[in-house]
Amino acid sequence: MNQVELLINQFLEEARNPKQTVTNVMVSTGKKAFGCFPIYVPEEIIYAAGVLPVGMWGGQTQGSKVNAYIQSFCCSIMRANMEQGMAGTYDFLDGIIIPTFCDTMKAILANWPVAVPHVKVIPFVYPQNRTSEYSAQFLISQFRNFQSNLENLLSKKISEADIENSFLTYEKYRVAMREFVELVNYYPKTLNPKIRHMIIKASNFNDKAVYTKRLRHLMESIKEMPQERVHGPKVVITGLMAEPEQFLDLFTENGYTFVADDLAHESRQFRTRARSEGTAIEKMAYRIIDLRGCPFFYEENKSRGTLLKTLAKKYNADAVVVCMFKFCDPEEFDYPVYKNELDKDGINILYLEIEQQMDSVAQLRTRIQSFSEMIMNEIN
Amino acid sequence: MFLGIDIGSSSSKAVILDMEGNILAQEVVNIGTGTKGVELVLEQIFKATNLQMPAFKYTIVTGYGRMTYIGANMQITEITCHAKGVSYLYPKARSIIDIGGQDAKVIRLNVSGQVENFQMNEKCAAGTGRFFEVMARVLNCGINELSNLAGQGNDSVPISSVCTVFAESEVISQLATGASRQAVVKGINQSVAKRIVGLCNRTGLVPDVIMTGGVALNHNMVKALEEEIGMPIIIPESPQTIGALGAAVLAREKYINNLKNKTNY
Repeated sequence: MNQVELLINQFLEEARNPKQTVTNVMVSTGKKAFGCFPIYVPEEIIYAAGVLPVGMWGGQTQGSKVNAYIQSFCCSIMRANMEQGMAGTYDFLDGIIIPTFCDTMKAILANWPVAVPHVKVIPFVYPQNRTSEYSAQFLISQFRNFQSNLENLLSKKISEADIENSFLTYEKYRVAMREFVELVNYYPKTLNPKIRHMIIKASNFNDKAVYTKRLRHLMESIKEMPQERVHGPKVVITGLMAEPEQFLDLFTENGYTFVADDLAHESRQFRTRARSEGTAIEKMAYRIIDLRGCPFFYEENKSRGTLLKTLAKKYNADAVVVCMFKFCDPEEFDYPVYKNELDKDGINILYLEIEQQMDSVAQLRTRIQSFSEMIMNEIN
Repeated sequence: MFLGIDIGSSSSKAVILDMEGNILAQEVVNIGTGTKGVELVLEQIFKATNLQMPAFKYTIVTGYGRMTYIGANMQITEITCHAKGVSYLYPKARSIIDIGGQDAKVIRLNVSGQVENFQMNEKCAAGTGRFFEVMARVLNCGINELSNLAGQGNDSVPISSVCTVFAESEVISQLATGASRQAVVKGINQSVAKRIVGLCNRTGLVPDVIMTGGVALNHNMVKALEEEIGMPIIIPESPQTIGALGAAVLAREKYINNLKNKTNY
């Protein structure tokens, strides 16, 4: 096994075993851990408190306890989080933060204190309308409220200097992530769809400073290799998240390259650059104000279609792959709007309805393979 | 000789083409993946043609069970194979409605007969052959009898649910309130037709429209679908074997291309 494979395998191992990874990081850094529900949370403030932020993006859990609180037709990520919470998976966390981006999250916020009372929750409200300066000021006040709640929960003061340093750490992480998703275009075989996803996923369970250093090491090692080409469709992938692993394997098997993504779990976390002026808290707020093309925030003139078209053109993509999580309202409401725009520009769309926990991917295999056959026209 | 095999969810099909691309034989066995269906259909077609596996220059397998069959040179999806099979028989075809045992697909072809767009039903069995199997069981008749039953009158009762489970309850309720079996079957056909139209609209239907798959044998269902889409539907002589035919046609093309490449080399 060469150096690159070793480094990649470590990330794979971490992405596949979140709890073990977090435990290892807690032992090696001496930090406590704090859970972060999707989609966006002020991780920088948690990190500034000397605590490890842990991304809570569901898992391969199919239990029955959650049915008492969340219906079976709700988002599989949220159901998995709740189930795992009730099963004691998150008992080691010092608390969690739940933002209210959708109806299911609002329901979880109300149910969590009853279902999992021993894991304390701090709620967080992002401004939906982000067109006025008041939105930024509201968000800043929310960050300060969260800081205060967190200080009380941890019995620890968080200094401004700690927040500034934490923000810098996260900015370095975001720069590295942007470079990483770009690098995939030159090494689509080594960084195939599954590996690409798993490396990004591993960041949820690691200390960001250490993770960034390791990711940079991996990228440098990869750059020493000759560039690669795969024979298959080049696509921009969009949606909430692209999981499970066997779903991503289907893309790899059919030679797809994810030339860019617009996934909430991936690039939406790090694609928006921070403004250069202001304090760390202000920069954090304006990053959210400046974020475009995300259905979890209100945009009167929806820019997601333009964003997808721009990505498709920039990377010469053959198509846009839509990963539609059942039954994610914000994503579903957005689809007809950007589909129209993509159709007008003649950009192919592969629409895939998925859940995080899927036992069978046979139908998806047919769609993904057929789409590849159609695009590549290698058979006809 | 070239062999195309289509291992579906509820039936197995095989087609043999000769070196000139003429159909030599085609067979259907009504059991699909995970059973001895593929062995049986090959046994039948070999018996009918006096051929054995070594006689085939190239074999392509398609269908739901394609990933687990190891006797072929290549596996290709049923969408590409149906497109190839249909355009082999109907060069002017631009749309395909394929309703098989477990899924329903609508495929749009370009003028060259290549796949331009396609849509498949989701995991649920609504609007597929399995839906009709469940309904036939409730109505205490064979699946093959459904078409004749629907043709016995003009009445129909609405079956509003497209979900197989809910529709089953609805059918039982209709029968309990005195609706005739004929009217219920007609209602079932209309319900499925409405479901398929959704897929057609998402794909964009262009004539000539060809229907393939086992459900195409249900003439009253085809009629209900024609009324919904407002276009005539052409049914091939053997709608179940179109996927296998496409696989055989592709096998022949693949062999010829390989040969050309070798010669050029």
